[in-house]
Amino acid sequence: MSQIVRSFAPKVDQEKCIGCGMCQLYCPESTVMLTEEKKVVFDYRFCKGCGVCANECPVGAIVMVKEGTQ
Amino acid sequence: MYNDEFEKYYEEQLIQGGTTCCPGCGGPLFWKLALKTLGKNTIVYGDGPCAMCALRSIKIPHYAIHFSFIADGATGISAALRAKGRNDVTLVSSGGDGASSDISFGKISAAAERNENMIQICIDNEAYMNTGIQKSGLTPYGAWTTTTPTGKESNKKDIPMIVAAHKVPYVATASVAYPQDLARKLEKAKSIDGFKYIHTVIPCPTGWRFDPAKAVEVTRLGVDTWVNPLYEVEAGVLKVNRKAEAKPVQEYLGAQGRFRRLSEDQIAYVQGEVDKKRDDLLANDAKKIIH
Amino acid sequence: MSFTRMMEGNEAAAWGAKLARADVVPAYPITPQTELISNIASLIADGTMKTEYIKVEGEHTAMAAAVGASAAGARVFTASSSQGIAFMDEPLWIPPGRRLPIVMCMVNRSMAPLGGLRPDHNDSMHQRDKGWILLYCENSQEVLDTILQAYKIAENPEIYLPVGVCYDGYFVSATATPTTVPDQAKVDEWLPPYKHEWYDLMPDSYKMPPPKSFLKQRIGVAEAHQKAKKVIEAVDVDYKKHFGRGYGGLIEEYNCDGAEAVLVTMDSMTGTAKDVIDEMRADGKTIGLIKLKCFRPFPTEKFREIAPKYNAIGVVDRNNSFGSAGGGIVAVELARALYDLSERPVIANFHVGLSGTDVTMNQIRYMADETLEAAKKGKVKQVVDWVETHDLGEVM
Repeated sequence: MSQIVRSFAPKVDQEKCIGCGMCQLYCPESTVMLTEEKKVVFDYRFCKGCGVCANECPVGAIVMVKEGTQ
Repeated sequence: MYNDEFEKYYEEQLIQGGTTCCPGCGGPLFWKLALKTLGKNTIVYGDGPCAMCALRSIKIPHYAIHFSFIADGATGISAALRAKGRNDVTLVSSGGDGASSDISFGKISAAAERNENMIQICIDNEAYMNTGIQKSGLTPYGAWTTTTPTGKESNKKDIPMIVAAHKVPYVATASVAYPQDLARKLEKAKSIDGFKYIHTVIPCPTGWRFDPAKAVEVTRLGVDTWVNPLYEVEAGVLKVNRKAEAKPVQEYLGAQGRFRRLSEDQIAYVQGEVDKKRDDLLANDAKKIIH
Repeated sequence: MSFTRMMEGNEAAAWGAKLARADVVPAYPITPQTELISNIASLIADGTMKTEYIKVEGEHTAMAAAVGASAAGARVFTASSSQGIAFMDEPLWIPPGRRLPIVMCMVNRSMAPLGGLRPDHNDSMHQRDKGWILLYCENSQEVLDTILQAYKIAENPEIYLPVGVCYDGYFVSATATPTTVPDQAKVDEWLPPYKHEWYDLMPDSYKMPPPKSFLKQRIGVAEAHQKAKKVIEAVDVDYKKHFGRGYGGLIEEYNCDGAEAVLVTMDSMTGTAKDVIDEMRADGKTIGLIKLKCFRPFPTEKFREIAPKYNAIGVVDRNNSFGSAGGGIVAVELARALYDLSERPVIANFHVGLSGTDVTMNQIRYMADETLEAAKKGKVKQVVDWVETHDLGEVM
């Protein structure tokens, strides 16, 4: 069984999120999705915790937290 | 919780989530963006070890030999497609910088000369990364690599202009930090018969030495400082795509550990080279530069 | 329409590729293969042949393009010699490992620096470890027929191995002999279109072989070589039935009845050797000839079956294997093939025609006489006899 080893994982504050989709657009692993209901969700099975989504979010709605606490 | 939705999403995106690439690698990001334009009726031929890590995850037909065979295996596939009368299939041939500028440089030149019907893409992370960061012909001046620990002494080869000199129908530079521009260029390439070349510098946090979270930001800086300008050469006519004021190269160099050792003089040299290139591009914008 | 006329080996090969309906020909010129590809270009130009001919910039690219095209479902033909075969050494490993049925003419030429443009067999035999099937031809007719047989063998789903059709530069490639070009319709009946059951790169029907360990893949190639021995013989028998010409598949036993010793030759010198053997037989000398056509897979079982009939086998090696266990490439292979027999003939080994020097009738007589002597004495004078170092008088 393969494991993605992460130090940090992304966590979204849905209140702050404006549904722009930049996180989904720029995630290198395609593991961020903006659902039809404009909810940001992460595929933690494959997310590597690189932090690009958090860095690209224009309103700082995504933060990187210690793995296991997301 | 959203596993099923993600499985569906990956099928639609034509790329499986989670590759064996480093966190923040521009390789899978490039393919994710490119596949949106390329679509299902595409065959990708390509290798170049870092690129291979991403290619294994794409959900369209792909085939490869090694990185010493860039553009030539695709030449064979192109001929097979002609023999079968399948001119509806888009053929993409891809290679890394090591392949494109060094070991398979001659192959690309020859495929360009024969005007093979394919989109040749160089996924440029500016060194032989998968074998542990060794210098290639596309490593920029001054960059640290394990084989240039005091900084690369020579300049980066200008492959896009070299290919353009072969009088191919379309050459373009693109960036994963400007997805709409990339999409437009791939769409344009799809619509043209003959040899199309797209060069894209992708971020490599591991080899360029920076926090993976900054991957897209650093790539964007590369464009905004005019170190990696965005332009097209279509039928020999140059079109500069992004003409914004140039940010100082120091912002780009300073964001990456591989340029940490550059002296003031060296940074000035880099700025000078970038300025010359920028002036040259702007002076020739909308002009026929390949005769 | 079938027709017969004088034809050089390189032209016969072009007709072979045409009759086989090769879809894609990626090739780069090199003496003495050059006329083969310019003949193909002419056949395409005058509308006789419908093929995608890729004028690649080097042999490395030629074989890579061949791999891509074959995986994408095209029947591929290519050709090279000597330095060119060496230049494509990296991709030459790919077709057998990936089980791609490419047919390639290896127009033998000696390797630099110990050779110029003339033929010996090192360039093609150098491929013996990779998994290519290697078939050798004596004249233009055999080249054409072998190319057609090669596709039938290669594309057999039990085999799926690439085939090298080897023939001597100049002596076969540029020597005109009467050649019958069979009727295209008859060939179409006999050789169906190419369809690989494991590979499909087309987006609507994409299929790749399931992942297998390297070990399992290697065993697959080895098993295919073992099966190929029977397939090669069967294809030759079938070809003879349809087209009237056969070559024995793996080996041809020529004038061997009652012989106490045989010479083993390959490729163009066989033609000369057949004449010499006939002459010597008429003189009462009990020497026969074995033409080794299939070098890979090596016909071990065949040799084991016939070897007990003879007291000596004189192996003629038009190659060098410096530092080998003893002698030339074929001699070393044959010795291993026969090693386990409780009764086995003496093996005499000869180097001749190296770097493409003419193999003369006198030299063949000499080798035959030496082999007969070895048969009588039950031993050889030396590990290998470099025939060209002896002054054997006039050329003939």
